[in-house]
Amino acid sequence: MTTTVVVAGKGGTGKTTISALLVHLLSQKGVVLAIDADPATNLNQALGVPVGETVGRIREEMSQSVQTGAFSPTLSKQEYLDGRIRAALDEYKGFDLLAIGRPEGPGCYCAANNMLRLSIDKLGQNYRYVVIDSEAGMEHISRQTTRDVDILLIVSDLTQRGIRTAAAMKSLVRELRTSVGKVCLVVNRSLNGLPPEIEETINKYNFELMATIRQDPNLAELEVKGLPTTQLPQDSPLRTGVTQLIDRVGL
Amino acid sequence: MEFHVDIGPQYEGEVIRKEDMQVEFGGPKAKAKFELVTLKNPDEIEHEKVEVIGPDIKDMPEGSSYPIAILINIAGEALEKDMEPVIERRMHMYANYIEGVYHMNQRNDVWIRLSKASFKKGLNSLKEVGDILIFLYTSELSAIEKISITLVTDEKKVQELLAEALKVYEARDERLKGLREEDVDLFYGCVLCQSFAPTHCCVITPERIANCGAINWFDGKAAYKLDPEGPIFGVEKGELLDPGRGEYSGCNQCVAERSLGEYNRVYLHSAFEHPHTSCGCFQAILFYIPEVDAFGIVHRDFVGPTLLGEAFSKMAGVTSGGRQVEGSCGLALELIRSPKFFQADGGLRRVVWMPKAIKERYKDVIPADLYDKIASEEDVKTVDQLPAFLEKVGHPWIKGEVELPI
Repeated sequence: MTTTVVVAGKGGTGKTTISALLVHLLSQKGVVLAIDADPATNLNQALGVPVGETVGRIREEMSQSVQTGAFSPTLSKQEYLDGRIRAALDEYKGFDLLAIGRPEGPGCYCAANNMLRLSIDKLGQNYRYVVIDSEAGMEHISRQTTRDVDILLIVSDLTQRGIRTAAAMKSLVRELRTSVGKVCLVVNRSLNGLPPEIEETINKYNFELMATIRQDPNLAELEVKGLPTTQLPQDSPLRTGVTQLIDRVGL
Repeated sequence: MEFHVDIGPQYEGEVIRKEDMQVEFGGPKAKAKFELVTLKNPDEIEHEKVEVIGPDIKDMPEGSSYPIAILINIAGEALEKDMEPVIERRMHMYANYIEGVYHMNQRNDVWIRLSKASFKKGLNSLKEVGDILIFLYTSELSAIEKISITLVTDEKKVQELLAEALKVYEARDERLKGLREEDVDLFYGCVLCQSFAPTHCCVITPERIANCGAINWFDGKAAYKLDPEGPIFGVEKGELLDPGRGEYSGCNQCVAERSLGEYNRVYLHSAFEHPHTSCGCFQAILFYIPEVDAFGIVHRDFVGPTLLGEAFSKMAGVTSGGRQVEGSCGLALELIRSPKFFQADGGLRRVVWMPKAIKERYKDVIPADLYDKIASEEDVKTVDQLPAFLEKVGHPWIKGEVELPI
């Protein structure tokens, strides 16, 4: 049984930080496939591992090889992609990392993306958890590149805009009938609990608030030194916040 | 026969991560790796012999990567040369049947991992892996009367043998590139683009790659097998109603169903009357040039206007949307390699203009006597310059030398 968690939300709310902590903490319970779906590919840095091959580059190489006629006619592109994706996986203790990389250039990628999705879906079945750090915005939801999600964690900061973006995502998911088990909200970088205005908006949109994580002073220091998020001290707000989040969601 | 590990389809899809891996063969870290099945005469094979050349599993440090060559020789009255690739592909399935063995890819990309757990159970020799493969091959494929396997891990030897194997693969590809519509009963259809072009249905044959250039007949076959209910499906070709234009009763029926009755006929190899529909993601457009009653081709990356004065994007607007537009057809560039490329209309010999980049890319398929007679953007910038150019070079279509098959 695989549980797929997608971390989404407005840009700059701490999606990558929370994803990295989820990967780190969940990998102590079962093997995790971490997917960095943000074109900026920062998840590896937050996890403290080097940057590897990206799915985007694999897709480009395949398309080049097809165009020059070098691609074997007997080789199925689906199988080729399965193999290349397995080879692109960076394997670490308790988790494997796959980076999606840059989005496509001009031209049509419907078929290639459909094949990639199949490959990645199939790959995910081998893990206890799949954690997807998605890009900001909603394209991944509207294009349904993110499907069959058990838990959609929408991260917001302490802004009305953040909550409203989260609400827009929630309704889009419902409209598209994307198969999502549970949609929940995480408020990150709170200062002194939740201001009543924010709380009001959360209630207005009928959000299930799963965690409120305090602004973590330790993070800035790590970022300055370029150290991975996973090195946050045991009692840091982020680490305890994500630990509680895992418990509350029942992961 | 008794083996140290269990065998069966329940182990297919089992993934062995680096942490759980005893050793691996091939894959990204190994310089040389391949597997090859060869049909031999029965007297050339010592039945059920397994030979291991180079270090064996028990000699290898935990976590290491090794080159590998798996050479399988088979013989049998009912076996044919053409079956070699199919039987070779069975390796993927059979190797994955073995508990704690993970097999990926094919040919010279092969990648095999053995788990620590199965190693501890006693699977510590390639000899046993060979024995298991022989057991599976002979019990599943009764046509195999004799079989022997050689497993090589010695890098130098694998390198040597690989050079020969690459020649075999290349020869097989060449044979398959020659696959014709006449050779198969099943085509494939794809409606991945229906979200943008609701009446569009790509018909994919061995001689007609999908408009996007991403799905050929072999891909269709693989996708259909993997997900029969998916957006790529089988199309019984049915009766050949018009060999020149490429009209099949099965394709007509499929297009009628999938376009929800919008179209009920399709010519796979003509740009007129009932041309194939165009989605939105074709790589290039074949367009009719009335002034010379011939065709031009323009691809998506071509910058600026074509000789008609319009750029690709503008022309794509006319072509796209899942409609049958006479004289304006979206296509994959690879279609240029097809022997049936718009054959009803005269094929490549009726093409009078194409971007230089495309001419160069397909130089090997454009007949040598035609190559310089097709104008590029360097020769002809506007359509009024075209007749003079074609006259000067003596383009076969203008000279009336092209015979149509219809």
